[in-house]
Amino acid sequence: MLSFFFKKQHMVETLIMDYLEDLRKTQEFFSGALKVCLKESSENDFDFMAEQTHKFESKADDSREEIKNLMYSKALLPESRGDIMGLLEAVDVIPGIFQLLLNMIKTERIQIPDFIAPDIKELLDLSLASCDLMIRQIETLFKRTGGVRTLVATIDLNESHCDHIEQRIITNLFDSDLDPFQKLILKELIVTMGDISDQADRVSKRANIISMKRTV
Amino acid sequence: MLSFFSAIFLGWSLGANDASNIFGTAVASRMIKFWTAAMLASIFVLLGAILEGQAGIRTLQGLTHLNIEQAVACSLSAAATVTIMTLFGLPVSTSQAVVGAIIGIGFLNRQINLAGLEKVVLCWIGTPVGGGIISIIVYKVLATFYNRITINLVQTDILLRSALLAAGSYGAYALGANNVANVTAVFVDAGQLDVFTATLLGGLSIAFGILTLSRGVMQTVGKRLVKLDAFSALVVILAEAITVHLYTLIGVPVSTSQAVVGAVLGIGIIRGIRSVKGRTLLNIILAWSLTPAVASFIAIAIDFVIHLQYVPGV
Repeated sequence: MLSFFFKKQHMVETLIMDYLEDLRKTQEFFSGALKVCLKESSENDFDFMAEQTHKFESKADDSREEIKNLMYSKALLPESRGDIMGLLEAVDVIPGIFQLLLNMIKTERIQIPDFIAPDIKELLDLSLASCDLMIRQIETLFKRTGGVRTLVATIDLNESHCDHIEQRIITNLFDSDLDPFQKLILKELIVTMGDISDQADRVSKRANIISMKRTV
Repeated sequence: MLSFFSAIFLGWSLGANDASNIFGTAVASRMIKFWTAAMLASIFVLLGAILEGQAGIRTLQGLTHLNIEQAVACSLSAAATVTIMTLFGLPVSTSQAVVGAIIGIGFLNRQINLAGLEKVVLCWIGTPVGGGIISIIVYKVLATFYNRITINLVQTDILLRSALLAAGSYGAYALGANNVANVTAVFVDAGQLDVFTATLLGGLSIAFGILTLSRGVMQTVGKRLVKLDAFSALVVILAEAITVHLYTLIGVPVSTSQAVVGAVLGIGIIRGIRSVKGRTLLNIILAWSLTPAVASFIAIAIDFVIHLQYVPGV
């Protein structure tokens, strides 16, 4: 009965779920591409994965635009519109970082040295785990009310851990005998990779505030 | 028939002005579309007027006895007072203007029901105070339920929007039931209309005002008040509706503007924020004390002009 009267609102809900699904796919292909890099697999696989990452990032962008248009056609209360748009814009930074990292690897022909590969893998796993939790947190926000706040602490902890790993890799990198130019290129890659968990933490805190605002 | 135009004009301006007290915040902040608000408000104003408008008419009827000329003078002076106060940017109460005009004519007739007047004035004092107290109670009760329900973000949005529409409709019902007396009671007193026709004519003219001219006022009033979140806006509308409806049951027409300001002040107290600007409050107090006096003076002046006679050779 209510679904009939509030079609636009339910469409927003469905589109947000679609957006999160696209984000998950983007993350999956990005992770695959980086694993190819770390295992020094064939160049073709990397290209395919990078292409798929770009494809789903664009799809997520289109979904976000559709959500924005629907919301500004008065589908939701102005306060909720602002909250949701702000949240999605913050989330959208993450697929942008994925694409930036893959472009850096491709255009700068970055080869990850063996002595930092395990640390980079750890940083990547932890950052992507934060993203998974962040997506779960947003789904919780749109599917039910409880449980949003419990995920904030875990994401925050992951972010601190990622900072430590990032620092450790950079220190090891500059202690090594690598060419200084290569050191700088790798440092930029690692710092950008560290941005993933930072942004996931920011999004998580924003989602928590939105959830808290629902309490009067 | 021509004499009823003053009543229709008063009802029309009342509808155009007072609909903003019900749906102004929601429409100005785009929580509800104007036409949805206007259609609901018109329907419920008419229903309220027809179903519960009689009590207020009887109270105003009991304040003094009027003939048809005096009824027109009352109606015109109330309409003129509302217009003048609005031009000065003061939040005017149609109820106070009508009662002020009736008292002015009653003074000329040397016939004022003081017990009835005392009841009306006490209710005027009680309106903002009542609005404030009721908004605190409504806030506490609704917040208890609202915080306990387990629904997601979109469902919360749907719930708040539906509640705003329901509360606004109730507010419109209370407005029609309470304020229809301001529009046509003087004509019942003058023996020109029966009670049912008076409620129907009054209700229709208020609804006409809502449909034709309330859009701009809703935008202005909604933005002039503090920016409220959807939950607080709901509490304000509901508190205003309950306050006005309670006075309808007592049979005294009161000001919806004053009930709204009381309710917004109540929200400010409960949230520990300054919800109404000092200048707005000053304007309200000024309008509260000036409106009956101005209406009274204009009614006496109109009655004086009506009774002027041309005496040849003098």
